[in-house]
Amino acid sequence: MFKPTVRLLRGYSLDPGFSTRLDTAAINEITYQVKWEKLEEGPCGSYFEVIDYDPASNCFYAPVDLDSPEVMLQNGLSPSEGNPKFHQQFVYTVAMTTLGHFEKSLGRKIIWPYRLVEHKGTKGKPSTFTHEYVSRLRLYPHAFRDANAFYTAEKKAVLFGYFEAAAQVQGSNLPGGIIFTCLSPDIVAHELTHAILDSIHPRFTENTNPDVAAFHEAFADIVALLQRFTNTPLVQNQIARTRGNLSEFSFLGELATQFGNALQGNRGALRGAIGHTDADGNWKKLDPDPQAYHTVFEPHDRGSLLVATIFDAFIRLYNVQTEDLLRIATNGTGVLQPGAIHPDLAKRLAREACGIAEHLLHICIRALDYCPPIDITFGDYLRALITADLDVTPKDNTGYRLALIEAFRSRGIFPDRVNTLSIESLRWAKPELFNDHENEILKYIAKELKERMNQIIDYSLQEEDKREETFLESQRIQAWLHGLLVQDKKAILGPEAWSGFLVKLGLTDKPVSFQYEGKTIASKGVPPLEVHKVRPVYRVGREETLVEQVIITLTQTFRIEGGDYDGTKFRGGCSLILNMSRNYDVEYIIYKKIGSQRRFEHQLDYQLGKTPANAALSDSMYDDDKGFKSINFASLHFHNGI
Amino acid sequence: MATTITATIKMYQVGELGDCFFLRFTEGARQSNVLIDCGSFRNSQKSIDRLNIIVKNIKSLLKGKKLDVVVGTHQHNDHLSGFVHCETLFTGLIDQVWLSWLDNPNDSLARNISKDHKGLVSQLQAIHNKLSSLAPLKEALKDGVVQDVLGFYAAAGGDPEIPARGIEVLRKIGNKEIAYLTPGQQLDLPGLSAGSVKVYVLGPPRDQTLLFDKDPKKGESYDPKLAIAGLNATRLLSALDNYDPTTDNREEEQFPFNKNFQIPKNAKSETLRIYNDKDNSWRKIDLDWLDQASRLALYLDSYTNNSSLVLAFELVKSKKVLLFAADAQTGNWLSWKNIQWKDAVPGFTSYSLLQNTVLYKVGHHGSHNATLVEGLEKMEHEELVAMIPVDEKDPNITKENGWKMPAANLYKRLKEKTQFRVLRMDKGFADGCDPVKNKGKAKWDKLPHKPVVDPKNFFIEYTVKG
Repeated sequence: MFKPTVRLLRGYSLDPGFSTRLDTAAINEITYQVKWEKLEEGPCGSYFEVIDYDPASNCFYAPVDLDSPEVMLQNGLSPSEGNPKFHQQFVYTVAMTTLGHFEKSLGRKIIWPYRLVEHKGTKGKPSTFTHEYVSRLRLYPHAFRDANAFYTAEKKAVLFGYFEAAAQVQGSNLPGGIIFTCLSPDIVAHELTHAILDSIHPRFTENTNPDVAAFHEAFADIVALLQRFTNTPLVQNQIARTRGNLSEFSFLGELATQFGNALQGNRGALRGAIGHTDADGNWKKLDPDPQAYHTVFEPHDRGSLLVATIFDAFIRLYNVQTEDLLRIATNGTGVLQPGAIHPDLAKRLAREACGIAEHLLHICIRALDYCPPIDITFGDYLRALITADLDVTPKDNTGYRLALIEAFRSRGIFPDRVNTLSIESLRWAKPELFNDHENEILKYIAKELKERMNQIIDYSLQEEDKREETFLESQRIQAWLHGLLVQDKKAILGPEAWSGFLVKLGLTDKPVSFQYEGKTIASKGVPPLEVHKVRPVYRVGREETLVEQVIITLTQTFRIEGGDYDGTKFRGGCSLILNMSRNYDVEYIIYKKIGSQRRFEHQLDYQLGKTPANAALSDSMYDDDKGFKSINFASLHFHNGI
Repeated sequence: MATTITATIKMYQVGELGDCFFLRFTEGARQSNVLIDCGSFRNSQKSIDRLNIIVKNIKSLLKGKKLDVVVGTHQHNDHLSGFVHCETLFTGLIDQVWLSWLDNPNDSLARNISKDHKGLVSQLQAIHNKLSSLAPLKEALKDGVVQDVLGFYAAAGGDPEIPARGIEVLRKIGNKEIAYLTPGQQLDLPGLSAGSVKVYVLGPPRDQTLLFDKDPKKGESYDPKLAIAGLNATRLLSALDNYDPTTDNREEEQFPFNKNFQIPKNAKSETLRIYNDKDNSWRKIDLDWLDQASRLALYLDSYTNNSSLVLAFELVKSKKVLLFAADAQTGNWLSWKNIQWKDAVPGFTSYSLLQNTVLYKVGHHGSHNATLVEGLEKMEHEELVAMIPVDEKDPNITKENGWKMPAANLYKRLKEKTQFRVLRMDKGFADGCDPVKNKGKAKWDKLPHKPVVDPKNFFIEYTVKG
């Protein structure tokens, strides 16, 4: 039987506001291609369920049926602000598009973060917990009336709001008109990215240093922004308008323009990556400020430093890679004549730009697997970017890695304790320090793991949705590995050698103890260990190199109870990358040591507000000034609004 | 030539959260008596009785003289209620009243802001009343935020007008013409020789570019964030009609979509089945949209706190400063450094006042959002002492998920900065700050005067010499 590979769905390329502007109306409607799947009404597929409940209006809206012939024959419903069914379709479309980029880059299927369920113990026994599989992320397109949208880990859902625009004319808004956040592809992609990032790194919502909250925000913006640059007709239009100069004013570099215009007292887009509109209404290009990383701490502002950095790398790559085209088009001078550029040139430039954006997007996503599982910093992320890219694209004839390094350097963002900014120093070190005993145990683990991985590898190669099976199988392997790391030690190595081995993974089999403010803070027992994931991945890089790896994340947690630091969680652990095609050799151990006195001090200094960064993300009298709470996206996003 | 001044500050124990500070400045035979705020959180008989005792005590200390200046910092019950409850006692007792420019009825900007401000309070009250009457939505008030914030206006139960009436009383009660103060103003303290004690007005900011995040346009010359909060509140109220069968709200029928797109709640639909699935009840969002009520409440609260009148009293000869920050939050604090002080010596800025501060009246009962870290770090005077008008037994603090006052880190840092000289309204000396019990650690010895704790007359007293 014929089975289509993609579903065509119409939608906005920017946001509804651009459909009413003469210069952009023609490019604001495009046809998206998302992965084909059987859909129920809603739409509800295997990854998402769109539930159009509007509690503020006390009603449900009729769900769209994207599989009905009437809708399918027309590539989905036509874009409309007044039809909630289109809203449902659009949220689904952008969600699937974003998901597609992630699955392609990561080389595996996305499994939503599990739900932790407590089972109360009877007769005074302590509660037990299970990890329940969640098949679909829930999307509520009209969840509340406010200028916001957010991902909630608690409900495994994304809630989109709608609101009335300000009563004065600003940009192209309709004064008093309704703005739907679910119709902005940027906002949908941004929120979806929060959810996907949470599925990969659940500990990145812990506020352990000023970069963590900023990273979550920045990464979500980076994905939203680069995704928009993969939209060829749009890019071509903008390249024609700016005569090929992407660093000139262009709304491609802004996010959520309509949303930004609709807020009273706000000019222009919500966040601009290239520039911003100043108080006099003039657009200004942003110059990199190498000091900003040390002075800007509000999570969105700090995050925008990282967004600007990645965008800067994009512009650098675009300029280098299009030089020859410009020379060809200008008799070798590289200087364009005044006036419009030739449409063919615009087309070619757009193709380059879109290609670069897509590569860069995939590099950025892939780097997630090369990040430590906790306590991320921008510097760690740079190292992850370089390492991940080296793995899939060893040669890099096109300069992606250098462009990234240059961009980070120009913003003054440097990794911790790296001697030079060369690719070799930035790449995470390959572990060569294992002694014979340790190699023995690694071989043993590899052998055992290999047998256990067969089933899961089989699942991941199937086209059918085997995510639940993968999840369950992965849990079994995690439990096995956990047992091995916690209990079986003496059988394999002597106790001392075993301890030494664990330290190399950032872990310990002893209680931890730290000095802080002249006091000793020690754990009662060995900090509990968790095995977060064991997943096979298959990725293809720019040079068509196929990489087959197993990604394992291990963390250990010391919870401080009582006293001045009650509520602090200090974690250590690593992301372990094994090479499947080389007999499960350890390729990288990207670790943060649980025993690190230095990191412990840094974290507490930050969380206790001793550094210039404000750790207390909340400004309410109900909150203390400590930074021990996890990051809450609802309030983080509301921070600047009301 | 300025002479040596003694300033005696009494922090009165109002028995719950609240501010009441009596300051006496003595310059040889001359005296100036100043009262900054007089209020407590509740309006119960107990609260009223306590305030009466306190005001009588102040009156007896005046020995027939008048209060030279009375300051009302901002429109919250815990700062103003005493002027309503003890109006008779205050009558004839006050020479002049100082309020912030925001309370000036002849200032059009202030009038506009005040209208929006008042509007938001009453809208929030309406939201509260409506929510409490709609059974399925009542649950949304459970976190208590809306009631708590309305409590500052005495609006959740009790007389909602009290703080506003406090201002009314203050407007007419003084002998002399009232003064509405604007940042940048520098005044001589009445009652003393000119130039001996100078009062600097630091907040609330008037500069429009500071009041607003972005550029104000013509015709919107009042706080846009406040306006948008008002708009949101209106919308929220309107949406509540959707749950109230007794009202007929045409506007809601077409908002946000034509009614035809709706499906009945008992329709046969996959969407409804999934949403109502028992196993998935943890994913429901029935009340999430009402979080907005709490957010509006918190916004209103910080808005009002930021409208605080902030004064720095400088004892000119020694340059020592007493800083009374009322409940000012970040926005207010941040605006200080941009004030241009007329005729100031070169290098003098608002931060010079912080550097010379020897007495800091801690903002907002010690909540973490009412002392700017940067500001506190600037306070480096050897003699620095802090006074926190906080009461650990206040139900707002003791309840589950109560207010964090004083905030742990701030509290700790205050002790470090003052060398363990922190005074609290409820217990006199903060833990670790007792001159006897913590001798050696709490460095009171360096100072000319020890604090006096007088629980019989409900005050903690401290004297600055300079």
